[in-house]
Amino acid sequence: MTSGAPRTRRGFDLRFPKTVLVAVVVILCIPAAIAVNVLAFDGRAYYVTALAIITLSMLPFAVAFEGRKPQARELVVIAVLVAITVAGRAAFFMVPQFKPVVALVIISGAALGPMSGFVVGSLSGFVSNFIFGQGPWTPWQMFAFGMIGFIAGLVFSRMAAAIGSGDAPVHARGGNASEKADTDSVFAQPDGTAVWGWDVKGRLRTERIRIALLCVFGFVITFVLYGILLDTAAATIFSSSISFDTLLLMYISGAPFNLVHAISTVVFLLLLARTMIEKLERVKKKYGFMQGVS
Amino acid sequence: MTASAADRSIFAGYHPIINYVFFGYAVLVPILFMHPVLLAISFASAFSWFVYLNRGRGLKFGLGLVVPLMVIAALFNPAFNHEGATILFYMNDNPITLESVIYGICAAVMIGGVILWFACYNAVMTSDKFIYLFGRMVPAMSLVISMALRFIPRYRAQAGRIASARRGIGFDVSSGKFLRRVRSGGEILSVMVTWALENAIETSDSMRSRGYGLSGRTAYSVYRFDSRDRAMLVAMLALMAAVATALAAEVVSVMFFPLFTVSGTSPFGMAAFACHAAVCVIPLALDVREDVVWRMSLK
Amino acid sequence: MTIFEINNLGFAYPERAVPALDGVSVEIRSGEFLVICGKSGCGKSTLLRHLKTVLTPFGERSGDIVFDGRPLASVEQREQAARIGFVLQSPDNQIVTDKVWHELAFGLESLGEKTPVIRRRVAEMASFFGIQEWYGKSVSELSGGQKQILALASVMAMQPDVLILDEPTSQLDPIAAEDFIETLKKINDEIGTTIILSEHRLEGALPRADRAVAMASGRVICQGSSSEVGRALRAAADPMLSAMPTPMRVYLALESEGENGSESEREGAPEGGGNKDAHVPETVREGRVYLTEKLQDGAGGGQNGSGGREASDHPDAGEGSGRSVAGQDTDGERPARAKGEESITLKEVWFRYERSGNDIVKDLSLTLRAGELACVVGGNGSGKTTMLGVITGENRHYRGKVRVLGLDPKKAKGTRLSDAGLVALPQNPQTLFTRNTVLSNLIDVAAAHAENPSDHESVEREVRRVAELTDTVGLLGFHPYDISGGEQQRAGLAMALLARPKLLLLDEPTKGMDSFFKEKFSVMLRQLCADGLGVLMVSHDVEFCAKHADRCMLFFNGGVVSEGAPRAFFSGNSFYTTAANRMSRGLIAEAITAEDVIEYVRDRARGAL
Repeated sequence: MTSGAPRTRRGFDLRFPKTVLVAVVVILCIPAAIAVNVLAFDGRAYYVTALAIITLSMLPFAVAFEGRKPQARELVVIAVLVAITVAGRAAFFMVPQFKPVVALVIISGAALGPMSGFVVGSLSGFVSNFIFGQGPWTPWQMFAFGMIGFIAGLVFSRMAAAIGSGDAPVHARGGNASEKADTDSVFAQPDGTAVWGWDVKGRLRTERIRIALLCVFGFVITFVLYGILLDTAAATIFSSSISFDTLLLMYISGAPFNLVHAISTVVFLLLLARTMIEKLERVKKKYGFMQGVS
Repeated sequence: MTASAADRSIFAGYHPIINYVFFGYAVLVPILFMHPVLLAISFASAFSWFVYLNRGRGLKFGLGLVVPLMVIAALFNPAFNHEGATILFYMNDNPITLESVIYGICAAVMIGGVILWFACYNAVMTSDKFIYLFGRMVPAMSLVISMALRFIPRYRAQAGRIASARRGIGFDVSSGKFLRRVRSGGEILSVMVTWALENAIETSDSMRSRGYGLSGRTAYSVYRFDSRDRAMLVAMLALMAAVATALAAEVVSVMFFPLFTVSGTSPFGMAAFACHAAVCVIPLALDVREDVVWRMSLK
Repeated sequence: MTIFEINNLGFAYPERAVPALDGVSVEIRSGEFLVICGKSGCGKSTLLRHLKTVLTPFGERSGDIVFDGRPLASVEQREQAARIGFVLQSPDNQIVTDKVWHELAFGLESLGEKTPVIRRRVAEMASFFGIQEWYGKSVSELSGGQKQILALASVMAMQPDVLILDEPTSQLDPIAAEDFIETLKKINDEIGTTIILSEHRLEGALPRADRAVAMASGRVICQGSSSEVGRALRAAADPMLSAMPTPMRVYLALESEGENGSESEREGAPEGGGNKDAHVPETVREGRVYLTEKLQDGAGGGQNGSGGREASDHPDAGEGSGRSVAGQDTDGERPARAKGEESITLKEVWFRYERSGNDIVKDLSLTLRAGELACVVGGNGSGKTTMLGVITGENRHYRGKVRVLGLDPKKAKGTRLSDAGLVALPQNPQTLFTRNTVLSNLIDVAAAHAENPSDHESVEREVRRVAELTDTVGLLGFHPYDISGGEQQRAGLAMALLARPKLLLLDEPTKGMDSFFKEKFSVMLRQLCADGLGVLMVSHDVEFCAKHADRCMLFFNGGVVSEGAPRAFFSGNSFYTTAANRMSRGLIAEAITAEDVIEYVRDRARGAL
């Protein structure tokens, strides 16, 4: 079972003229929002202006996603991932301070591509606040998670396909029809490799490198994108004026939290990335989910 | 619980458009115009509605989450923003100004009010209302939200079931060293992911079997915009327009730096405050009136 | 009028040598209630899925399907969506949205109906199915039975001509299942919708059906009225007979004696089953009428009835009576093995989930000995599963004494209980599968419980032994989700056994199993008990418990209210008992299985000769 399946396009699709139109409007609207802030509010309506900007920049994604009329199977997989991202905390009830949200969004983006990654991320942010309570932070979280999923999709979708398809040990992938019939051969590996899941060393090394890359990415993006963005959001609502000093202060005071968050993301990626990507690839293959989806 | 608050509140019984217009106004006006009187009115109405909605449980939440945030906001500004003409004293060679202190207090009241409005929102607004509003604009995304909300309670219950199933065949799930616990959480999540994905196939079959994907899908909702809603919308918009006019004409205005100056004491300004108060108190007034009428009718 | 015409349909899944369907021809008339039966994996799901294009699996196909005079493939998707309704097996999986009202409207939204139309249809459906009270609720607040009714109503809202249901009751408890089938009958009678139902629980479905189709290995083996199908199965001595309702099994066994070669009484018909045109009794009521006549036909009619009734009022008195099947062999085929030491001792145990909540387990006393298979039966929500939690220590009792394998579960930390040999198999084996193959799942458990996990050889030997015992050797290479539900049960059981149990707790193990696998499963359990394992099983499945348990207990309102050996236990109950017992109550003392009834009547006939 090699990765002979037709590769689906995973890029952010701009075929839809509507998307382009919206993107252009958004690009025009952002300066307009800033202008309104400066002219009408003496440049002090930081929070609302920033809110307007991030809301506007999420619009093209929404239009592109709606525009391609996603089919039932794709919607269900996205909804499942959103729900798992939110309910995932329940699985870690014994370590309540660790939350797997960012790690799961990264994995979703890597496995399903940038567009679905964005949708999973932003809707996870929204839905989790539906349950834990909406607040002024909701749009920021939506944007941060959405972008993380999007970027993870851009950077890692090719790699995820490799992890999920060709390189895993035979028995761990479920094998194919001929292997299933002959169970004795599964037992009868001379060195027990197939049974015990140790794999040929070379393969293992490339896979380790892949996971390591994913972890580095996870650390950086959690710390930088999520941490900095939400600290900035806090600054815009707390402070009467945004200066370099206030921002720096915000970032420094937020650093310990962001560091814990980034580390927990790495831990979760180490723990979950390989198995989850494998599972997603299996479902995609078995049921033709996300086929022809860009 | 939230569901009962949503059932109990008369305001929640109005059309979702009314709800959203109200909350949009209630949250945005304080953030955009930090006029002390507007803020005070807003905070007071949010606080009283919140306590009314949640009965006894409200105060604990208020003290637990809102107060610390307000304290941070009140201290943040004077400590790190040294604008303003009136220097009160110096701390570590940094001037602490009166204007900054006032801004900090206003920011605290604003943040407290906004969080309380959101708390009311969370108590009163259900997913149905959100879906109603966005089901037409972003149908696929709102369907994903609806499905995710359906899955989440299932998945949580399943996580518990998986944990006890694993315990049942001798895997320890909740004790041991930190990393071991994280690892067993990973195992539980892994079982859950497979289960969720494999079972989702039947969900998508069920959708397709009921025609999902055909062109021309409509969005049904249980809400009807009736005459009561129309009257309420007109009244609300009229009051909001009055406040907006006053703000635009700077009859009501505030400036914190370099010197703290407020306006709004003119009769027109007072009228604007009255209008703002009238809007903010709508939900509480409706709920209280209903309670009173109901009690009267029982006698 | 014919609504569906299936002509010589053949189908094979990709990469499978054996076809899933082979030469299937069925004609379905408009307005009829058709039941398709057969053991799991016989192709009935595959057949049903061919009746709606969007659900048709990929693979190689031959033959054709005509819907309402046109080839199904040429019927537009929109028309198919509206006119062919499909209800799937799992109530939880097929509900899409989070609110009841939204779910009801879902299909009509897809069809592009306007709000006023949807409002009317949804209202109609809600009142027809009695859903008004939970119309505004979240789906997560509903019970399993309510969810399946919701799934049905949301399909019916589209006003289909045909309603296809693929084992819709397999996940429900018996009472909810009976309600569901009754609702189907109501739809069929009052709206005239054609119903095509596949089922393994035939006690409720068959009496209500107009016609039945029996399938085996992808072929139709017979079709016709249920009486005709029953006779045909009997004539072919088909194992599917064991899935038929008890009254049918009794009738067919007794009325085809001649054919069987045993001593014939009355006119044993050659074609397997009495008078060829006679109606075969399907319900308990019909079965009683038949049995009463049958016994009267023989010697000493009237006395039997009263004598039997007397015997059943005093279960112990049955022993002396010649009419009692329980005479010489009161559970004689199962010699009391329960001589081992006590594995579970519960004494006056109380438990509640929350301090201010209600007691779920109340004043519960129960014992289980090594080597014993004990079954706890009782209605939904009586606290049976909570009790299992008390035994495993997950639910901490606040009063009373609990000893499990000599330990107090409240005090046993970490894995001490399971190290002592307590193993619990969950209701849904899917909650156990961490790995991608059955084999690696088994190895995980085996390694965790091996004395020396790095001794691969001994672990492998253990896995192989248990795989052979549970008949899972052929499944080892598969992904656990690529095998059927019954196979998953077996794999779960194998995992449980690899945890080296001395005491095994089973929660509804027969839910979703077909009657064929149940037999296999019971043999497995017997063997385990013979090796000294204690088994405590919680179940709704009275037929299974009656047949295979050493001891049965009735759970009600948080405690065990009565217990005894199955024969005494079930003949002491008058409502919560097996169909065979209800059918023979007052006629034959202490008969609790179809085999008991058959044997008694035969013995009696022999005596009369």
